Amino acid sequence: MTLAQYQLAEQLEQALGNPHQVESLMSFQRTAELDEAEQFPHDEIAWLYSWGLQNYYIPTECGGKFTSFEEFVAFVRVLARRDLNISIAFTTLFWSFLTWMAGSDEQKQTLSQLMSEDHTAMCLAYSEREHGSDLVGGGVTATKVAGGYLLNGEKWPINRATISGVTYVLARTDPDGGNRGLSLFMVEKQYLEPSQYYNLPKIKTHGIRAADMSGIGFSDCFIPDRMLLGPEGHGLELGLKGFQITRALCAAFSQGAADTTMRTTLNFAVNRQLYGKTVIDMPHARRTLTNAFVDMLICDCVNIGAARGFHVATDQFSVWSAVDKYFVPVTLEQVMKETSVVLGSRFYMRDEHDSGVFQKALRDSAIISMFDGSSVVNLHALILQRRQLAKARLRIRQKPDQLAALKVRLAQSFSLDQSLPPFEPNRLELFSRGADDVMQGLESTLADLEAWQGSGQSMSSQPVNQAVLSQVIELGKVILEEINAQDALITQSAFEHGHDQSFESFELAKQYCHLHAAIACILMWMHNRNHEDMQGFFAEGEWLVLSLHRLLSRFRRSLTPPPSTYYENVAQELLQLHQADKMFSIVPFQLAQRSRAPAIAAPCLVT
Amino acid sequence: MQQLQNPSASEPLTQPTPVSKIQSWLVDQLADVLSLDPTTIDVKQPLTRYGLDSIDAVTLVGDLEDWLDLELPSTLLWDYPSIEKAAAHMVEEFDVTL
Repeated sequence: MTLAQYQLAEQLEQALGNPHQVESLMSFQRTAELDEAEQFPHDEIAWLYSWGLQNYYIPTECGGKFTSFEEFVAFVRVLARRDLNISIAFTTLFWSFLTWMAGSDEQKQTLSQLMSEDHTAMCLAYSEREHGSDLVGGGVTATKVAGGYLLNGEKWPINRATISGVTYVLARTDPDGGNRGLSLFMVEKQYLEPSQYYNLPKIKTHGIRAADMSGIGFSDCFIPDRMLLGPEGHGLELGLKGFQITRALCAAFSQGAADTTMRTTLNFAVNRQLYGKTVIDMPHARRTLTNAFVDMLICDCVNIGAARGFHVATDQFSVWSAVDKYFVPVTLEQVMKETSVVLGSRFYMRDEHDSGVFQKALRDSAIISMFDGSSVVNLHALILQRRQLAKARLRIRQKPDQLAALKVRLAQSFSLDQSLPPFEPNRLELFSRGADDVMQGLESTLADLEAWQGSGQSMSSQPVNQAVLSQVIELGKVILEEINAQDALITQSAFEHGHDQSFESFELAKQYCHLHAAIACILMWMHNRNHEDMQGFFAEGEWLVLSLHRLLSRFRRSLTPPPSTYYENVAQELLQLHQADKMFSIVPFQLAQRSRAPAIAAPCLVT
Repeated sequence: MQQLQNPSASEPLTQPTPVSKIQSWLVDQLADVLSLDPTTIDVKQPLTRYGLDSIDAVTLVGDLEDWLDLELPSTLLWDYPSIEKAAAHMVEEFDVTL
């Protein structure tokens, strides 16, 4: 893999070994045992620290090795395909972005050292038993006293509330301060008086049963002034911006889990003989898995585009993040459900076929579309911005200079070989002012594709399959018609604020996500088809035609069916990736193979 | 700008100032989106009293930006949480032309 941002993921893969081998560090057998015992994965987490993975959560300017979210989501997938207990428990480290965003130099230095050297983990204490996702309604208070604050109240349910050294606590500092009455604290628990706080018992859950899902309570708990993060009263703003970061990253958990459910299903389908045939040669099973693979590729285009877009279109993430966090986990939940049909009854068994990893991944991943802002929360965030998105799309058509700048941003967000600027969290905005480059760049994207038809293509480019190109343009025009119709509907309808949004508004927001995803697929293809790592299957683009067809079939039932050879070629790619132990992805990086030596007990640090 | 010709009942029908125009627009907007009678809206009261939550307040800033063709801080209505305070602040700090 020449794309440098995927090399860390490949190294971590090799260090961890093939999870089908019981002696590998995070084997499916071992993680199943941890799950059955509902036992926190202390040893596995310790190994990741020793390997140095925590440094990739710390920006380089704060002493770490984090350079891009594209690299980040790739290594999270490597963890997540093995076990969501471990990956979710370790990745609470991404809450450190609150400090990288709002902390003082001293706080950043403190946290960097805590993570890198003391192997400290953190948790996010926002939710409360009585208030759910209503952050402003929260009951935990921080009352100003000399030299600090007194915390009172309980946070629940909180992942890693007990087994963590740092707790980010959102608390009300001004009873009459409204939206500016909340403050965020980076609480280092080692400095708390033990009698002033307590942990709530582990909660028994349906999935991620090894997780430390618990809570924390405070009783006149003194915290010094230096633990306040950002200005007093800015807690809600920081909290909401922090969610924009983590929501887009959550999709990588789902992607890792879906990779495993597909892989274990193929382990069965390519070997299982029924009625004198292997399962994978049966038309229904083959098409079911092919469609699931196409959906996984669509999610790749959305999530990799978003991971890169963070660095480029940072101020639009109130939209991109909401699309990503809604679309990817929900689509992959459906992928797993459909894939399970091929695996048959084994999908439900806890100690059969690859240590019962299918049912475990299914249970574990069910939480992803819920935490860090549920699907409803994300769709609601889109609904509130929907009218402005429509207006801005109309306006930008008349502004050629803005359109030109938008095209440059899109090329940087989607060209995997373009370098990315450092992520600047201070560029996050609570709303995007109607901007969504992906959606608003559709017309110019289609114009570029039309220019490729016939002899219009640049001489340096790889030749494009004209049949594929024609179908992509035709389907692209369907996207345009649909978004035009939706925008017209939105601008003509009465707008509702608040939480009384209609069922229909939610359905329209879902449609927006599907159209955004379809354009992301086109952009990913057109910006990378010349890259040396993306030749063959990706560059050919038949997968893109199937992707667009699948996404748009929910809008139009009468679309021309794609050629059956496209399905077969995509099925062949799926089988090759399975056989070669490569990630089911548009960037199919190498996974640990069975033949390699298992992970060594002593971790080796990445240099 | 139809709303500007229909200031709320709490506003005198004298020569409108930029502050009164913004107040009037906000009253009408709030009444419209929250289905309230504009005459019941007191410009001195916190917006949260009328059921405008945190994200609604941010969305309303977006509407204000569209109306005024001006970029404003997204947290403007958090920092100046009544119609009176927001209007006064905007006229003082931004190049509002009405």
